Amino acid sequence: MCEASKNIYLPHLATIEEIIQETHDIRSLKLIFQDEQVRENFTFRAGQFAEYSAFGAGESTFCIASPPTRKGYIECCFRAVGRVTEALGSLEVGDTVGVRGPYGNAFPIEEFFGKNLVFVAGGIALPPLRTVIWNCLDLREKFGDITIVYGARTENDLVYKRELKEWQERSDVRLVKTVDPGGDGPDWDGQVGFVPNVLGEAAPSAANTVALVCGPPIMIKFTLPELEKLGFTDNAIYTTLENRMKCGLGKCGRCNVGNVYVCKDGPVFTAAQVKAMPQEF
Amino acid sequence: MTKTISEKNLRLLIDALARQGKRIVGPKSDGPITLYAPLADGEELVLDEQPRRSAKETFFPLCETILTYEKGKEGVTVTNADCSRIPETVLIGARPCDAAGAPVLDAVFAWDTNDPFFLERRKKTTVLGLACTRADEACFCTAVGLSPADPKGADLFLTPLVGGGFACEAHSEKGETLLETHAGLLATADGEKSLPAAEPTVGTMNLEAIKAWLDTHFEDPLWDEIAARCAGCGTCAFLCPVCHCFDIVDEGGEIRGARRKSWDACGFGKFTQHASGHNPRDIQPQRFRNRVMHKFTYYQDKFGQTLCTGCGRCLRNCPAGIDLVEVLEQIQAEG
Repeated sequence: MCEASKNIYLPHLATIEEIIQETHDIRSLKLIFQDEQVRENFTFRAGQFAEYSAFGAGESTFCIASPPTRKGYIECCFRAVGRVTEALGSLEVGDTVGVRGPYGNAFPIEEFFGKNLVFVAGGIALPPLRTVIWNCLDLREKFGDITIVYGARTENDLVYKRELKEWQERSDVRLVKTVDPGGDGPDWDGQVGFVPNVLGEAAPSAANTVALVCGPPIMIKFTLPELEKLGFTDNAIYTTLENRMKCGLGKCGRCNVGNVYVCKDGPVFTAAQVKAMPQEF
Repeated sequence: MTKTISEKNLRLLIDALARQGKRIVGPKSDGPITLYAPLADGEELVLDEQPRRSAKETFFPLCETILTYEKGKEGVTVTNADCSRIPETVLIGARPCDAAGAPVLDAVFAWDTNDPFFLERRKKTTVLGLACTRADEACFCTAVGLSPADPKGADLFLTPLVGGGFACEAHSEKGETLLETHAGLLATADGEKSLPAAEPTVGTMNLEAIKAWLDTHFEDPLWDEIAARCAGCGTCAFLCPVCHCFDIVDEGGEIRGARRKSWDACGFGKFTQHASGHNPRDIQPQRFRNRVMHKFTYYQDKFGQTLCTGCGRCLRNCPAGIDLVEVLEQIQAEG
């Protein structure tokens, strides 16, 4: 046999403990590793990703959406849009999935100690920031003000609805949620508008603050100038690149932007790093 | 003391190695073409043709099982693929452009983490390289720093002699061992002259100047101009000794099946397509640019090597007639 510990493509097995239907086509899975040693020894940092597999369909890349401060399980969140995600989406509680990881770099959370944090997310791009948000909330005293600006097309497209409510009710978090015009229902109590505009109106101070931005390329494109207007420098803005990946190990040749391998050098980059890359993402 | 081997004894060497249970791979006729393929005996070895496909399959098969799975009442059982089944192999008659490919690929398969499948095959394979005495108009190994007589990647290197037979030079311990084990088939060189090595018409190129131009011309009309006719068929990548992009796919049924690594190509339209439909390399010129950039600058940045051995297969076989040498010459002229 290839020594199992040496087959870098071999996944850990995990059991689906809980399924949360976030929207009509987005699901969260709470996963528990089946092997006791893995369960105890699996550690990761906020921002890292994994390869999740539905056996028979294949592997897909998502971030680890739960915070490293919560032990014993991990969570992932995905929209059912392809062969693998549809297969993962059809699994039930108790079923087995594969997990390879954790891979990639992480948000330098320790460097954020003592600073204010502004999270800006759009649509299904909240999960890569949600891991950081909870990581920071679990260490709340280490950070200054925490502002979360999150938007989706419609009220129904927002993910982590229960947690949004929780954040909204906390006095130590400022949540600004928004939907695109026309996306609000009768009970909508948030803003109406495109994330970058709503961020501009919310106008969080850039003083001693880092901004963490995740969203579709178009949202990021319009968010960066807004942050700049607010006084954020490119080194104080962090984002993740969500390139298509297969191996996650810097070998399969798919996720590169110029000579940067997103799976190894990323997925977390500062805006300064992103701007220095060939603009192909 | 340089050793020599007659062509007859080279074929007998294959028979002897096969009798030891080794898998022998070498150039072999397959209808009208020549391919690197398992040889049943020494007579099958073709010595005067460059195989249509590269020898990379010896180390990196087109499709390879990395695990198997079986679903049962108790959940899923995953079985690790059996690397020990990879047979001891002798790759014989590898052209310098093919033998040189394996060490180039070591860089990517053994950096940071080790790909056990590639490395196990490398460990278990002895490469007998063969100098070229003939080049065609597509050959350009000299342009990428190799030569028709370069033993890079070969454990034992064979150089054709005037009047028949080959000089054999060991370039590794594996090569030495092979010479010692089969000393009876060898003779000691006695002033025989080597046939002159081939001389590719392309000559040398300034790879540094090419890289410098690439590093500053991510946006350039050249990319549209060259790649307008690229069909994105992936032939160039599949024939290339060092293109190594791969996919990981599950094949099989609901109950049992296998997960496999299989070749992929950055020229394919969906290679980089996101789940949302967004594609960072949406059009063919962007994909072609990535191919050239990966070979002549990104791989240099990462591993200090050029991801090209100048075998000429991509230009020889491109259905759209795209000529990488012309592209490099054009870049060199602009830079």
